[in-house]
Amino acid sequence: MFKFIRNIILFIIAAMIAGEVVVRITHAVSDVPQRIIDSDGIQKYYPNQTGYSLNGKHTWLINKLGWPGELPNSFDNLVLVIGDSFIENFMNPNDCHQAPLLKERINELNFLETARSGVSFIEAFEIAKQMDTLNPVKSLIYINDSDFYESVKEISEKQDITQLDISEGKVIHGKMKAPGLKKVLYNWKLMYYFYNRFPLNFENKKPTKKYTPKERALKHSQEVDGLLSFIKTKYNIIDKILVFHPYSNKKLITKCIDAGFEVISLDSSTDSNSWTFDFDHHWTCYGHEQVASQVARSLKSAN
Amino acid sequence: MLFNSIEFFVFLPIVFILYWFVTAKYLKAQNLLIAIASYVFYGWWDWRFLSLIAFSSIIDYTIGLLLKKTEVKSKRKILLWISICVNLGFLGFFKYYNFFIQSLVDSFTLLGQPLSINSLNIILPVGISFYTFQTLSYTIDVYNKKLEPTKDFIAFSAFVSFFPQLVAGPIERATNLLPQFYSKRIFKYDLAINGMRQVLWGLFKKVVIADNCAKYANIIFNNYEDYSGSTLVLGAFFFAFQIYGDFSGYSDIAIGVSRLFGFDLKRNFAFPYFSRDIAEFWRRWHISLSTWFRDYLYIPLGGSRGGIKMKLRNTFIIFIVSGFWHGANWTFIVWGALNAIYFLPLLLTNKNRVNTNIVAEGKYLPSFKEIRQMGITFFITLIAWVFFRADSITHAFLYLKGIFSSSLFSYFEIFPVTILVLLLFFIIIEWLGRNSEFAIENVDFMNKPIRWGFYVGLIVLMFTYTGEQQEFIYFQF
Repeated sequence: MFKFIRNIILFIIAAMIAGEVVVRITHAVSDVPQRIIDSDGIQKYYPNQTGYSLNGKHTWLINKLGWPGELPNSFDNLVLVIGDSFIENFMNPNDCHQAPLLKERINELNFLETARSGVSFIEAFEIAKQMDTLNPVKSLIYINDSDFYESVKEISEKQDITQLDISEGKVIHGKMKAPGLKKVLYNWKLMYYFYNRFPLNFENKKPTKKYTPKERALKHSQEVDGLLSFIKTKYNIIDKILVFHPYSNKKLITKCIDAGFEVISLDSSTDSNSWTFDFDHHWTCYGHEQVASQVARSLKSAN
Repeated sequence: MLFNSIEFFVFLPIVFILYWFVTAKYLKAQNLLIAIASYVFYGWWDWRFLSLIAFSSIIDYTIGLLLKKTEVKSKRKILLWISICVNLGFLGFFKYYNFFIQSLVDSFTLLGQPLSINSLNIILPVGISFYTFQTLSYTIDVYNKKLEPTKDFIAFSAFVSFFPQLVAGPIERATNLLPQFYSKRIFKYDLAINGMRQVLWGLFKKVVIADNCAKYANIIFNNYEDYSGSTLVLGAFFFAFQIYGDFSGYSDIAIGVSRLFGFDLKRNFAFPYFSRDIAEFWRRWHISLSTWFRDYLYIPLGGSRGGIKMKLRNTFIIFIVSGFWHGANWTFIVWGALNAIYFLPLLLTNKNRVNTNIVAEGKYLPSFKEIRQMGITFFITLIAWVFFRADSITHAFLYLKGIFSSSLFSYFEIFPVTILVLLLFFIIIEWLGRNSEFAIENVDFMNKPIRWGFYVGLIVLMFTYTGEQQEFIYFQF
């Protein structure tokens, strides 16, 4: 019995070393940049990191400010591109990011991306406030419906997302979930591969009511009003433009316009080609090009 | 719980350690542990259906004891029929109720008398066809006095629910498995190592071969109108290896895991695609089901004792019932009937037991005659698989029409080189190991570093070419 267990353990160690080598060589999992929380409570990345995307098709880059993507050549006439995983965009090469695509379309402006997956609507304004030191002329905040709901603690409390406690009138910054475990997981590629390949499913399987976007907008209307009114009083919204994803809830868009926000509403309904990956709801390179074209058109027409 | 899931990789070592280190001294405790672990294993999928297994166990255990108490033939027959009706009643309700209702409605509609009977939203309990047949084998063997009924309910529960083979076989006979629960198991290093090897090969078959072939088989079968005849042949080829890798892979893991616990299960596959005729194929494919039907249906029906007519009738019955066992769809029945038709010439010419040895035994390569025989057998099996895989009879016929069209000799629209190379590697390993119980059983001729390198290589292939995780096909049966 002990010989068997000893041999199994030795074999597992040998197999794990071989597996780790294979996963690293083939880039069977994408590299994940490491995060920090800065003095303002904003989660960003350690500066100057780089790594491979899934299957090693391209590399991603974290610039010296701690945001994904390349820095512009100049910070004059700067436009911030703020958003979540859609703008962070690790799944596409750097050429397919919003900043270079917008620069191609409006050469007189410089674009800087400040994005991270999981950024909520309220956190986007926190990021914009911090980046005011660079004197941007405008900030584009790419947003979808869920970013509004995730921003309000009263709708659903989430520890890892920056939220507004409406009753207290206080912004609660998101905490990093299990940072130690994540650090181990991201460096032990084989384990991370297993984690992705065979996800553990301990979720409560009790059925919960699923709201349609329309139902949700009606249900949480009061909380969204509270969120918008807080933002209007605590942040500068004059130079901010909200860029709504295609098929966003029209009621939400109207609410933002009524509250005095400038809005660009993206539309993919007339395009026969899909903007998103087959296996992932994020935009493809083609999708990003279409988004940049529509945003650039709106920016030009506004000027 | 799936064998190819992280949950199982946590579950198995825990049960193994408890089994050999905590309960090893007490046979009853070991059996109880197996029964509990098996219920956890099954309940992981849906705990509500545990009641079915428990009920089946109680009924058959009680009937076994009652059969021992009475020698009156009519009483014994009634007891046997109670067991058959309860077990097949569950199976019939969960698996075939909607099929019969739909067929009835369709038939009356065809006769111009539409019926309005609603079908029910029934979930098919995983593995019901397997454990039903296993418990039935117990009652029938006790009835036929081939087996002493057990008084040990824990051992009987562990036998019915034994987790390695509970949901997809091999279908164990009570005469083989149940006595193993009565005697103390002793850990045997060689048996355990052999089991681990079989688990590794089974996982390779499932994760690399079956799951990758599934991807292309699904694409081609679901969009058959868009592809040429040559690609449709490739689609059927991929399905043939999907179902073989999937099902024989499951059996290998089940047998291998059982060996870790000191049990010896029946062999379920014996390299069926190296068969030289269809009779040999059926002696090598899903052996535990074929022999079950032979012993509990074919022989009681008269077998081959009543001349050629009875032989033909019984063969047709066996194949059609076997098809129907696989699922409540006409496609499975046609698949069964087609195999019976393939069998016909061999039966009529009395050549159904010509190829009972291993092909090209003791040689590296087969003769041209053997290649031709294997090629023909594989091709006709491929045609039958089209019915097995298709969603409906119409789908199957349209697929076959697509194969036998002018585009049969055109260039493939889909030709995944990597998967085909992996398949070639797989076929070579299977061919080299065809004298053994499973392909990599006898690798002891390699010295330890090379042998371990080979195992690690298989694992690396699993990491690198793992297909999208799919449920085992036979779970649905």
